[in-house]
Amino acid sequence: MVIDDSKLDCFIAEKIIRNTGKCESIRSFLQARDALDHIAANPVDEQSHTILLVDIQMPIMNGFEFVEAFEQLPQEITRNYTVYIISSSINEADLNKVHNYRSVKQFLNKPLTSNNLSVLLG
Amino acid sequence: MKTGEKIKILYIDDEQNNLNGFKATFRFDYTVYIASNTTLAYEFLRDHSDISVVLCDQRMPDKTGVQFFEEMRKLYPDPVRMLITGYTDIESVIDSVNRGHIFRYIKKPWTDHDVRSAIEEANKFYLTNSMLVEKNKELQSAYDELGKFAYSITHDVRGPLVSVIGALELAKEMDNINELRELLGMMAEAVRKIDEYIKNTHEYYKLKRGVLQFTAIDFKQLMGDIGAIFRIVAVNDDINFSWDVEQNGLFYSDEISIKMILNNLLSNAFNFQKKAESNKMVDVKISVKDNLAEILVNDNGIGIHEDYVNNIFTMFYRATSEDTGSGLGLYNVKDALNKLGGKIEVESKLNEGTIFKVTIPGNLHGTK
Repeated sequence: MVIDDSKLDCFIAEKIIRNTGKCESIRSFLQARDALDHIAANPVDEQSHTILLVDIQMPIMNGFEFVEAFEQLPQEITRNYTVYIISSSINEADLNKVHNYRSVKQFLNKPLTSNNLSVLLG
Repeated sequence: MKTGEKIKILYIDDEQNNLNGFKATFRFDYTVYIASNTTLAYEFLRDHSDISVVLCDQRMPDKTGVQFFEEMRKLYPDPVRMLITGYTDIESVIDSVNRGHIFRYIKKPWTDHDVRSAIEEANKFYLTNSMLVEKNKELQSAYDELGKFAYSITHDVRGPLVSVIGALELAKEMDNINELRELLGMMAEAVRKIDEYIKNTHEYYKLKRGVLQFTAIDFKQLMGDIGAIFRIVAVNDDINFSWDVEQNGLFYSDEISIKMILNNLLSNAFNFQKKAESNKMVDVKISVKDNLAEILVNDNGIGIHEDYVNNIFTMFYRATSEDTGSGLGLYNVKDALNKLGGKIEVESKLNEGTIFKVTIPGNLHGTK
């Protein structure tokens, strides 16, 4: 699942992920709030695991606010997700902040490439 | 102190004769306040924050001039202090400089000429200091804004740029021409966003550093010019666009600012339309009377959520995830209105539309 306010970045991510052939399905959200509502309302089945790619700089609800709200969700839901922050930010404060969230596995630089993506898809 | 205003000075002495003589001599050239004790002196300092020079006699019954200056400096640091005394011993001179931080030392009996030149010098010193404080404030706010800019450039310029780099990499692997076209369209939009950001930055700079030029504004003509540009967008996007101008009498203002305000409000009204709406509309009403211009820009677009409406004039704030906008537009509008003494109000309902109401008082005459 991709959460990014830029349509182009969502498009790129979807394309690259699809090209790897390692994903069953993929969804993009332009607004973090919509993604959060979707996650909260739809318990994933135990068999599948979802990778979240979250942009930092988004209006209304930014990536960090999303992660904070996500961590408040029940554990039965959150344990089915792995969160990656993906951003074009080169701001040290942003990069350091990523370490404060236990649910965030790693920070990835934009642009997303098939190389760095195949690493996290295994 | 405004230019042309008299220098305001306060003189403290326990001998009424000295006070009266001082006031009689200098009241034509300066605004003179006299106090026979330090309690009274503090009242003057409290009520007249623009007193620039304080003269005090050293030998007074309740306290010495040096003691008074030492105290006063903590409460009212700005006025320039000068000590008047018949004492000539070096100790009291050293004391007054070290403890009272005085600017000049005037020996009794004083001559008009000595006092006058000391006051003029002291006032120059006072003005330079106040100017320095003012300049420091400006400098601080310029630094703060520079920090915001540096941050926003890494996000708002690097963001779309990195997207385009990613898209180019992706395009290399693509064979389907239709998919490629779709990607190119999105890349163009990302590049346009950077361009928009640069244009807004330029506008911001022009506004900040520029001097207002007041000329007679013909709103009918001005709106006609701007309207012609937006008419093209209106036809393209199928938006019902109308405007109405009613101007009574001459109106002097800064044309660049007014154009910028109208341009920003109109591009917002056009950009934040509901895609599904079949009856899209933007309406502008301008009325000028009694030297007051009122501009109403009305649209039935996406509106602004009530939680975010107070933030929309903040630098780099974006209240929507719609993919357009630099977060500088309305900040520039507000800044221009501050300079012109105008104001802006907004009334908005999410999914129903937005009305911006701008009022600008006209200048009394044009720039000469």
